[in-house]
Amino acid sequence: MDSSSSKQPIVERFLDMLAYVATALSGVFMVVLVATFGWLVFGRYVLNDTPTWVEQMALLLVTNITFLAAAVGIHERTHLSVDILSLVVPKRASQVIDIVIDMTILVFGLAMAIYGKELVDFAWFRTVPLLGISDGIRYFPVVASGVLMSLFSGYRIVTGVMRLFMHESVSADSLSSDVKGDQ
Amino acid sequence: ADWKGWNIHNTGYPVTVAMESFIKEADKATDGRVTGRVYNGAVLGNQSDAIQMLQVGGIQFAGFNLGPMGDAVPEVNVVSLPFIFKGLDHMHRVMDGPVGDELSAAMEKKGIKALAWYDGGARSFYNTSKAIKTPADMKGEKFRVMNNELYVGMVEALGGNATPMAYSEVYQSLKTGVVDGAENNWPSYDSSNHFEVATYYSLTEHLILPECICVSVAAWDKLSTKDQVAVKKAARNSSALQRDLWAKRDTESRKKVLASGVKFNEIKDKSAFQNAMTPVYKKAVKDNPSLQYFIDAIQSTP
Amino acid sequence: MGLAVLLGLFALLTVLGVPVAFALGMAAISAFWYEGLPLMIGFQRIVAGTSTFSLLAIPFFIFAGELMLHGGIAARLIRLASSAVGWVRGGLGQVNVFSSMLFGGISGSAVADVSALGSLLIPVMKEKGYDADYAVNVTVTSSIAGIMIPPSHNMILYVVAAGGGMSVASLFMAGVVPGILMCLLLGVVARWVAVRRNYPTEEFAGYKVVFFAFLASFPGLITAVIVVGGALSGVFTVTESGAIGAIYAVFITALVYRSLSLKDFWVAVIRAVRTTGLVMILVGCASAFGYMLALYEVPKVLAETLTSISDNPIVILLMMNLILLLLGMIMDMAALILICTPIFLPVAVGLGMDPIQFGVMLMMNLGLGLCTPPVGGCLFVGCAIGGVPIQKAVKTIWPFYLAILTALMLVTFVPSMSLALPNWITS
Ligand code: NA
Ligand code: NA
Repeated sequence: MDSSSSKQPIVERFLDMLAYVATALSGVFMVVLVATFGWLVFGRYVLNDTPTWVEQMALLLVTNITFLAAAVGIHERTHLSVDILSLVVPKRASQVIDIVIDMTILVFGLAMAIYGKELVDFAWFRTVPLLGISDGIRYFPVVASGVLMSLFSGYRIVTGVMRLFMHESVSADSLSSDVKGDQ
Repeated sequence: ADWKGWNIHNTGYPVTVAMESFIKEADKATDGRVTGRVYNGAVLGNQSDAIQMLQVGGIQFAGFNLGPMGDAVPEVNVVSLPFIFKGLDHMHRVMDGPVGDELSAAMEKKGIKALAWYDGGARSFYNTSKAIKTPADMKGEKFRVMNNELYVGMVEALGGNATPMAYSEVYQSLKTGVVDGAENNWPSYDSSNHFEVATYYSLTEHLILPECICVSVAAWDKLSTKDQVAVKKAARNSSALQRDLWAKRDTESRKKVLASGVKFNEIKDKSAFQNAMTPVYKKAVKDNPSLQYFIDAIQSTP
Repeated sequence: MGLAVLLGLFALLTVLGVPVAFALGMAAISAFWYEGLPLMIGFQRIVAGTSTFSLLAIPFFIFAGELMLHGGIAARLIRLASSAVGWVRGGLGQVNVFSSMLFGGISGSAVADVSALGSLLIPVMKEKGYDADYAVNVTVTSSIAGIMIPPSHNMILYVVAAGGGMSVASLFMAGVVPGILMCLLLGVVARWVAVRRNYPTEEFAGYKVVFFAFLASFPGLITAVIVVGGALSGVFTVTESGAIGAIYAVFITALVYRSLSLKDFWVAVIRAVRTTGLVMILVGCASAFGYMLALYEVPKVLAETLTSISDNPIVILLMMNLILLLLGMIMDMAALILICTPIFLPVAVGLGMDPIQFGVMLMMNLGLGLCTPPVGGCLFVGCAIGGVPIQKAVKTIWPFYLAILTALMLVTFVPSMSLALPNWITS
């Protein structure tokens, strides 16, 4: 983050910390995910007693990884996008476009938090087969991801608008747009 | 109203034909006040997601299997108890009688209106190595089961290694030996091509899972009483059609797989299998006391 | 009208520069809203798209690939390639292609290939007098081997999109011959350009060096054998084999090579998590988008339109390839696999094409899309590493495109290219 241009380094540091926590949490989930599959194969062949919870648990873990990491991707600008328009329009127009993009993500993030909460409530009294826990838990990461995405994009909108009105010569995006998007 | 219908089966399957006939007849009988379309092959999602869609009004009707319905409506899990029905006819008498109405009422409380019951056939074990004549033949064998505590308990009580697995992975797993067997009815054993790789079919008939044609309560409540009667009648008619088509399909599939060289054995005395289920029933009732009433009601149905 | 909302909004948001995943998601959710469908179901579809059992192999393959890179397996493979083919004119170009073939057989991902091999090879090539655009072109186009040569998480996506019922192991095998052929063609092109530009040649170090380089990289190469062989032989399911591959990679790099520190491990975990998030959210949003396409019966209508234009199989197959190429230029591979498979597969099967062959064709076609502007993940990463503007790299990439197109046409019209190997193995 370009802290020299920032009026609220604390907010930025807070968001960085949120992103870090989300990433680290998904990292732990990833390690657990791989380990449980090792246990699954071990159980089936060596113990001849297949652990029946692995499959359903793995689906919960991968949903957690996906939604947390996807929110972090907003903060770190790693999602794959078509950057053709911002290359051909004048710089100020491109700054406006960036704000529109962030607003789209904000709307999506808010909707994700709201309807994710609805999904939690709805699925609360249903059980995940073979795990015996509430199916509502499946949608926790959706809510968390929605909230994180709203925070990340909301902050970017604020800084984007400030930049636009203060005619600062700070580049629209000082982050390297290093594409880590895998396909 | 333009109804969207969820269906897991493909074109030409008995449930598919029956659902299409249902919506067509409903259209005609209500003078076009109910119209709709069936989306086959689960293009709209899996059953547990579709149940939710029906509950919140994303879709208006569906053909559901009562096995996975138990996650949403716990009382329905009673039909997932192994050997709960004495046979196909017994299942028909139970579901078309007062017990069926009570299960329907339980589903209605969750926003799912079951209008009529379809057949889903009787499920039996099949495997790659040997005929199953007694539970001892299942000892240590890896059997794929659907995601339900009761099915896992069933295989474990019979001495097997219960292996829950996505349906799409079963063929390859049977072929390569990741699992030794699975369980299903004749038509699915046929259409999934599992008979090519698991050639022993042992007629345990441990599960007789009915299916249902369901309408969302929200859509149902919007209908006039007259239209409700007409739609219900269309559902009943489609059920008669489905059961008929199913019986034919069942025989055809059985003939086809036997002709291909499947080794099939009947089990004269199933009591060894049935007796092994005592702990499964006990645990099910302990986890969900409301099942006891339904177990008694079904067992006392002649 | 609802369809216009869906497609129009998607196009608008994508051109604006909204990340493709969210353009898909936003367009789908808006169409839900327009149709009066509960929005909750839209998000349910997104979640359901990510929590699909068959897709669990994707994080495993991505993780295994990151471990290979950070645990030093990639560097050993390059040493092997360099000793084996470095003596050809423009040798490092050949080394690059050959490394992609080896590494692609392990990582299962094209972008991972570009970032792993590109960051090791492109600087060396520049230093030895190769032009940066050449280094980037070779790296980017040969990375498609990661998709073609098993394992490949995109192939798993295809099997899921096709509605299951197809053997992932067979599809994996089907990609081997076309993948190797494509690399050979790229090698020819790389040499042709190298001769014209008079690039240097490495000296042949001797068979002994090749042999020891092979020995050193052998434990790493075994990862591919475990993943593919485990699934083929039935010891594991494909999903499990991905996890076992990742566990083996940790074991080999940490204990045998001793080149994976705890810090490297965590870096690999974090990078794998990031990539998984980007891929899987795209898959989720594409499945909500696909739900609306199914409701509007778009696959059926498009398939009917396509077959009404011509009943000549050759024309239809060429048309399909053209449409896929055009779509591949503007959209990402994962999303396209999920959206295009239900549309085109029935048409291809109607023409008598085997779904496995169609899958291989789709992979190669969309793989080319990763190397084309404006949306091309491999091209972006390659240019970033090489420090070359995209316009400059693309100016001289044409011969490489031609090599891939040639391979694509062979895959399209010669079924045995894809089918002979899996048929031979299963018989
Ligand atoms: Na690969
Ligand atoms: Na492209």
